[in-house]
Order: sequence, then structure tokens, then C-alpha cells
Amino acid sequence: MLAVEYFEVECPEPLGAEYYEQITNDVLLDHNLLKVINKLHIWIDPKVPVFIAVATLKPITSVIRVGDCANVNPQEGKMTLVLSDETYLAPMLKIFWDRFGKDKVDQPDRFTVILTGVEATPAEVEEIVIGNPSESLHKDLIYAFRCIAPEGFRLRSEVFTKDKLTFVASENTLAEDIGTLVASLYKKMGEVPP
Amino acid sequence: MTLVPVTYKGGIFQHDIVVDLIEDLGGYVVQKHVLAQEVVLQCFVPREDIELIRQISRPLFGEVTDSPLVGTEIAVVSMSLEIHHLPHPSCDIAEYVRRLGAKSNMVSLARGPGKRIAGLNDEERDVINEHDIAVYLLGNFETCIEYKMPTLRRGIEVPIVLCGGPDIETLKKIIDPPVDGYVGNVGRFMRRTKEAEELGKLDEIIAEITRVLEKKRDAIAKDPLSVAPARLMGLIKEKIPEILEVTSPTPLTVQMAGLRVKLPYDTFAEKVRKMEVEDGITLGDIAEVLPSRMRDYILVKILPFSETNTVV
Repeated sequence: MLAVEYFEVECPEPLGAEYYEQITNDVLLDHNLLKVINKLHIWIDPKVPVFIAVATLKPITSVIRVGDCANVNPQEGKMTLVLSDETYLAPMLKIFWDRFGKDKVDQPDRFTVILTGVEATPAEVEEIVIGNPSESLHKDLIYAFRCIAPEGFRLRSEVFTKDKLTFVASENTLAEDIGTLVASLYKKMGEVPP
Repeated sequence: MTLVPVTYKGGIFQHDIVVDLIEDLGGYVVQKHVLAQEVVLQCFVPREDIELIRQISRPLFGEVTDSPLVGTEIAVVSMSLEIHHLPHPSCDIAEYVRRLGAKSNMVSLARGPGKRIAGLNDEERDVINEHDIAVYLLGNFETCIEYKMPTLRRGIEVPIVLCGGPDIETLKKIIDPPVDGYVGNVGRFMRRTKEAEELGKLDEIIAEITRVLEKKRDAIAKDPLSVAPARLMGLIKEKIPEILEVTSPTPLTVQMAGLRVKLPYDTFAEKVRKMEVEDGITLGDIAEVLPSRMRDYILVKILPFSETNTVV
């Protein structure tokens, strides 16, 4: 894992740990989440059985603006937006409709949006915020860790703070003192438990 | 005359010459796929005539290759249908055995995952038992495999090939009583099998399946079947024309010692039973016609010579 500062999988079965290292890497890479994780420690004990993942997250400060995914071309009385990335197209259209009204927003094809007679300069349009990746971050991370954890571990506890994530899963009721184990894993990473 | 399983690949132009030739030589076409301009035939042909088929199909750019799994139906038992197991590795393995001519079905368990909570219900057990072989795809931890395998194999009568994350020695050590085949270092993974090393693992699985099936073939050869399943397939096609209207990819699935007929049991079972095979011998005399647990299909289990005293 390139972007992660610390990554370790701990398991009584060495071969199992090796496989889970690979699985974690593949899943986080597929979900494009490597860039938000700073440190990650995974503990699996198939005898109990329990799966614990503790991680520290990098802060995501950037928001997505219209200018990040479209070119704004001013013309006489209208503006043509040529999209280069359609990930945030749906929220963008919704924001335009709310702000300018549906009659002024037209989308002739997948990659083009035309704003007619709007009261905003092209520079202002470019600055409109259309998405915030950190909003869905927790949801994405939980989904990714559900994929990494062995299937059938359906009793879960997920704790999020601003920059830390604790994910515990088991098929049995979680032990009462699981917090001590989680704390010791944070300590191994050189972090203070949340 | 020994019939050997082969795959023929060639252009669609004049491919009926090859089909006629195979039938004239006494062989059987088990499956025929037409893919755009290409035809793939999975068939049984007499060993000594393979060269002749090669010669005749040369001007048509046909290619004849061995495929040891033709005429077998394989159950790929996946622990669940969740993202954890699909599409890799379950689909990768099911697809790979299909390339070598087998008809593979994926059997996914309702409560397969986990350790303590894993289980196998009666429907799953019966469906697996309708196949020639079951390939179990288990996870990465030996503790879990050791714990759940006795539950998952309860009542399974067909040979089992076990694939799991631990190496082959460990698998052999923890499974008691032993199963028929083991493939180690193939557990759960979340990436496509496309590198040489991963494809090598798939080849290892195929080799193990082939080895186990050869053993089963030898056992059948000691007490031969009253009729060859591939021959029965041709007869059913001829005498029960309704099968030609079934839209599933293989309306008649050939197994090693039987046949799955994809027609409703209630309507067609009697007709299948009374179908004449040869000289007044009906199918009911030499085979059991049973309802399949898979949809409402018919399962034909051919009886061995020792029970019927006839070979047709």
C-alpha cells in the first residue's frame, strides 16, 4: 500500500494474515479509499471469531466546485458547460434548478449543460459548490470494511470520530471488554484511542 | 470402441459436415454453441477417428482439442452470493471449468458463511447430490474450515474437491474423514484471476477435478451403464420433440451416469419412462426417472448392467 503510512494485519494464522493483507489492499484500491486512510491496523482471530479494524483518517478539506468538473464557456445571453467528469452531474443540476429555475437550465446531451439568461457571471458559476466527498466518506468506509471482514460476521460496532475509525465485527455477541483490545491496537499504531 | 471427450472449434460455414461425420462415426454431440461466426461442439468421438475428424475439418479451419470434462455436471459450491465471494473466485472457477467442457452450476448456500452459524439445508444437499462432483470453495482460515466442514458435507454422497486458503498439507490434516480432492492456497480473494500464477491455480483445480472424475469413470467402467448417457440424449431429442422447444442453454444435460431433462416432471415423466430405447426395452426398464430438486426438471439415473442385465 503506497499512500498508507502504517498498515498491518495481525492474525494467529500467518497465511490468513497474508491473504487478508491482499484483500484489504484490493478492496480499498477498488473503492478509491487509500488516499483517506493514514494508518490502519487489522486484527483477526478466527478462534473467537472476531475482526477488528482501527484506522486514522486524513482530513479531507476540499469540496467539489463546478469548475472542477466542467468548462464554462460564456456566449451571448447564455453559458455552455462542457463536462469532463459526470460524477457530480446529478447534484449539480439540482443546485442549478434551485438557484436559477428549471426553465433556464437545459441539458441537450450527457456532457453538455446550457444556462440561458442567468444572473451570474461565469466566474461565479465556476465557484458553485456541488459536492462534498467527506459527507459520504463514513458510509463508503463502512461498506469497504464490510467487504474486507469475513462474511457472516454480522454483529458489528462502528465508531467514528473526526479522524479515527473503529470497526469491530463478529458472528457472536461482542465481548464486553472489546474496548481494551481496541485500545491496545491503537497503542500499537502509536495513537491515542478515541 | 472407446469414446473420448473432445471439443471442436471452427467456423460456422459447413460445420454440419463435421456434425454429420461425428454422428456417422458413432460419436455424440453433447453441446453445440454458435457464437457469431464460430461454432463450438462438445462431443464424444471414437478415439481412433480423431485424426480423421482433424483431416476433414482442416479445410474448414476446425480445431480438435481434448477436453476431459465434457459430459459432466459440476456443482461449484459457493458459501454465499455476497460480494465477498462473487464474482471472484466463485465465478472465475465456474467459468474456467466450463471452458473445458463441463456443465457447471453454481450452488450458493443460504447460510454458508461464518464459522458457528454455517449450515446446509436439505434442498442444497439434494441439489449438490444431483451432480457428478462438488467443488467446495471455502475461506482463508484453517480454524473456520475445520469447524464448518463437517456440517457442510453432511449427507453429500458425490465426490468433493475442497479449495481453501491454507496449503494442501494443512487441508489434508484438518479434514477428517478425508474428501476426494484438495486444492490449497485458493481461498477468498477480491481480484480477477488473470496473472500467470493465478491461472496456474485454476489449472491445478481442473487437474484435481479431472483426477477425481477419472476415478469415478473407472468405477463406472467396472460395472458399465445399461446405456450411454450421450446416446440417451440423442434418443430423447428424437422421440420427445417438446425438448427442442425448451429455451435453456442445455435442455438435456449429460452427466456421467445420467441425464437432466429440463421438462416439467408431472407432465413428461411417464412419457420419458415409456420411451422405447431399443427392441421393446423402455427407458423405465434401464433407468430411474426421478423428480429433480432443481426447478421441476426430470432426473434420469441410468442403472448399471449388474442391476438390469441389459446393455443397449
